[in-house]
Amino acid sequence: MSSFEEIYNRYSAQIFRVCMGYTNDADQAKDLVQETFISVWKSLPGFRNQSHISTWIFRIATNHCLRAMEVARRMPVTELPFNLAEAHEEPVEEKLNMLYRCIAELEETDRIIISLELEGLPQAEIADVVGLSNGNIRVKIHRIKEKLTKKFEAYGQLK
Amino acid sequence: MDNLSDLKAIWQTAKTDDLPSSKEMLQLIGTFRRQKLRNKWGAIVASLFFSALILVVLVEIDFHLLTTYIGGALMIISGVLIAVTNFRSLKRFNQLQDCNNLEFLAFIEQTRENQIYFHKKTMVGVVSLCSVGWLLYLYETMYRQPLWLVAVFYAIALIYLGVLWFVVRPRTIRKDALKLEATKKRFETISKQLEL
Repeated sequence: MSSFEEIYNRYSAQIFRVCMGYTNDADQAKDLVQETFISVWKSLPGFRNQSHISTWIFRIATNHCLRAMEVARRMPVTELPFNLAEAHEEPVEEKLNMLYRCIAELEETDRIIISLELEGLPQAEIADVVGLSNGNIRVKIHRIKEKLTKKFEAYGQLK
Repeated sequence: MDNLSDLKAIWQTAKTDDLPSSKEMLQLIGTFRRQKLRNKWGAIVASLFFSALILVVLVEIDFHLLTTYIGGALMIISGVLIAVTNFRSLKRFNQLQDCNNLEFLAFIEQTRENQIYFHKKTMVGVVSLCSVGWLLYLYETMYRQPLWLVAVFYAIALIYLGVLWFVVRPRTIRKDALKLEATKKRFETISKQLEL
């Protein structure tokens, strides 16, 4: 069994990126990371290795994201400027913000699924986190990828 | 490079160095947890303290009327009911860690139904027990007084309970019902998203 510190050091950045994908708000994402690790800390002694520890942690994090919608309205989707395609070289950060905005335009569960996919989780593990079959997740990921890349291309960010 | 790999490369550029260290996180956990659970535990401790206090009063003081003991017992029961309801809700959330998003949505829906049940049944039961108990408990202080004083005293007590029942309670229910309805709609939408 890993210690809490090891788990935190290993997964906190990943969890932050997934929460950021869901919320498109750095402060809220940090709060969700905190809530996730509070739950991890509380439940770690009872964790019985029935699933991968990563699956377990991502389940906790995404459930906290879903729960956050009880208090928050739809996450902020900033209006995109029209002349983006004319820009020549955007800094990396700008591209990342654009990606978050495109993800924020997706439905809630699509945001979770694509964030886990972008984070590099195997599809079987994503299926375990969400609770759908592998086949369903494969189809969903395919559709979301199409939607997302179209949005991103539409803003002239992906060549 | 395909499009998804491009997006993955962008995704990984997110800055995470300003996240707290594991030591800072452990400190945050201590404070945050206390704040989060304060309300629920506060309700449990306050209602148990209230029940214990009445129990001590009933045991220590030699009351003459049975109505005082019955009233006290009803108030003790209502306090214990509040504590048990809050404790069960805490336990449910603590048990819910290793479940997938679909199961979690079902859990939230169940919680919403529990809240409705709480408003319609548990709260009515608790408030009724406590109100009747309080009225009975007060009788011993009044029964030797002139009838007009008893009438005035009970009229004030009944007006107070009437305001609680017919003004405060419906307002709280209306406010919570709107919140619950909005949550219900959001969860229905999200649950539908997981259908292919």
